[in-house]
Amino acid sequence: MSKPFSPPVRFARLALKVNAFLLIALLLVAAFLGLVAWKQGWFIHQTGINFVTRNSLGINKGMPVKLFGFTIGTVSDMRLAQNGVAVRMSINSAYLERIPRGSRAKFSRESGVVGASVIEIIPGKGEQPIGEDEYMDFEPARGLAEIIDDFRRQAVPAFNEIKQTMSQFNRSGEEVTTAMIALRREIDQIPETHRAVKRLIDSATRTSVSLEHLTGTLDRADFANKLITTLDSLNRTAATAEETMLRIKPAVEIGENAARDAGEIIAAAKRSWPLKEQYRQTEALLPIDSFEAYGISPQKK
Amino acid sequence: MNSRALFSIVVLLAGCGAPGPQPPAAQARLEDANMRGSSQARAGDNAGAARRYEDAMRLAKTLDDADAFAVNSINLSIVYQRMGRDADAKTVLAPIVADERRAYSDARHLQAELRLAIMSLAARDNAGAIEWAKRAQNRCQSGAGGCAQLPAILNVQAQAALEAGQPAEASSLAQVAADRARQLDDKSEHANALRLVGRAQRAQGENAAAVETLTKAWEIDRELADPRKLMADLLELAHASLAAGNKVAARDYQERAAAISRALRDEK
Repeated sequence: MSKPFSPPVRFARLALKVNAFLLIALLLVAAFLGLVAWKQGWFIHQTGINFVTRNSLGINKGMPVKLFGFTIGTVSDMRLAQNGVAVRMSINSAYLERIPRGSRAKFSRESGVVGASVIEIIPGKGEQPIGEDEYMDFEPARGLAEIIDDFRRQAVPAFNEIKQTMSQFNRSGEEVTTAMIALRREIDQIPETHRAVKRLIDSATRTSVSLEHLTGTLDRADFANKLITTLDSLNRTAATAEETMLRIKPAVEIGENAARDAGEIIAAAKRSWPLKEQYRQTEALLPIDSFEAYGISPQKK
Repeated sequence: MNSRALFSIVVLLAGCGAPGPQPPAAQARLEDANMRGSSQARAGDNAGAARRYEDAMRLAKTLDDADAFAVNSINLSIVYQRMGRDADAKTVLAPIVADERRAYSDARHLQAELRLAIMSLAARDNAGAIEWAKRAQNRCQSGAGGCAQLPAILNVQAQAALEAGQPAEASSLAQVAADRARQLDDKSEHANALRLVGRAQRAQGENAAAVETLTKAWEIDRELADPRKLMADLLELAHASLAAGNKVAARDYQERAAAISRALRDEK
């Protein structure tokens, strides 16, 4: 006859302990799942807003949607539509009142041309907030070609001015050559001019002697004759001086023209970028301020 | 580009590297005195600035440089007025206004006349201020091109009208001055014009509008960081707020103005 079964005393109430352990484990798993769901925003009410783009290159599911640089949702779905790709954004409903009707979605990058791509919401002027499942306009990103075109439009006037300045330099080069030729002609005439000047000096010396003589003989009877001689001498001096001046005149005119041209060139260069910034006029006058008439006692220092 | 043009550019660029022609010693001293005077005036050292400008005027006389003489006379008049030497400030401008030799340009005449208008108004001589401002305005309008002093002239006229008890005319003149100053990007005169508009509005009983306009003037003056103007704005704001029935704001503005005044006194 076998001995009757007696449960082992070492594992008393084993089933209860196992069940309690399983229950705690289940609760921990549930809490973990709840935490993950909360962190993922599964408990936040999301509102779906759509836009249609003709080209969805660069747009992906999960891409952040930002308002004033602040993340307010994500791209939740994309599907092929009649005229392009319909993109659905899940926006946190709490921020929906900040997106009025007439707002636009724009594809952009966080650092301008480079950086992570995002969908940026540009608020419109409307007063009513946009509703669930409504569509907004989409503004595609500017391509590199458009950016270059924009730059070209802005740079063309500056380049035109530089071109104009260059042509002024060019013209000035031709004028300098003309001036050099004229100057050389004048240099060739220097010996003759020198002789004329010598004659002028001789004449002036004679005049001076005549005048001295005249002073000494003022009371003499032949005063009239000497005066005539002196006047003749002065006439000759004047004629020589006139001749010399006529010779010098072209050279002076050329010099004047060259100086004027140089002035114009420098003025044009000063107006042109990048020299413009270097040539700001420094005003020597203090600003005249009508506030001085206000009558507040000034700083007597 | 042909070789001549290239040569011209090379010569020009070589000129950039080479030291420029040295001005004669007296001319250099004149420019230096003017420059130092201006920096001292901007730093608030009016006595030092006056000495520099007096030197500059003497040097300008020795060089027979009428324009430099006029510029330094006008600067000296500004500095003298800040020092409280009102009579000297007027006397120093007399040769420019009289101009017996017709040596000074229209622009210098205009500036001297505007300064005299400002000083007359500061001395509560309304008739004199109106007369000088009118002369400056006529010269301003007859000159070709833009007249940079027009906002200041209009502001002087507006203030004279306000002192004469004509707030409506003062307001319209100051409005024109504000528009013109905005076009010329002259922040200082823009703020002055807005302050005058605010004062004229208060004189007409439009107290809420006056507070708004004066706040705009104060915002510009805060950018310019001139304590005297900030104090004037705050005092006007205190008056306007009190008239609008906002005693708390009025007290706040008044206390802030008093704080600036105390700080200015301590600085002296």
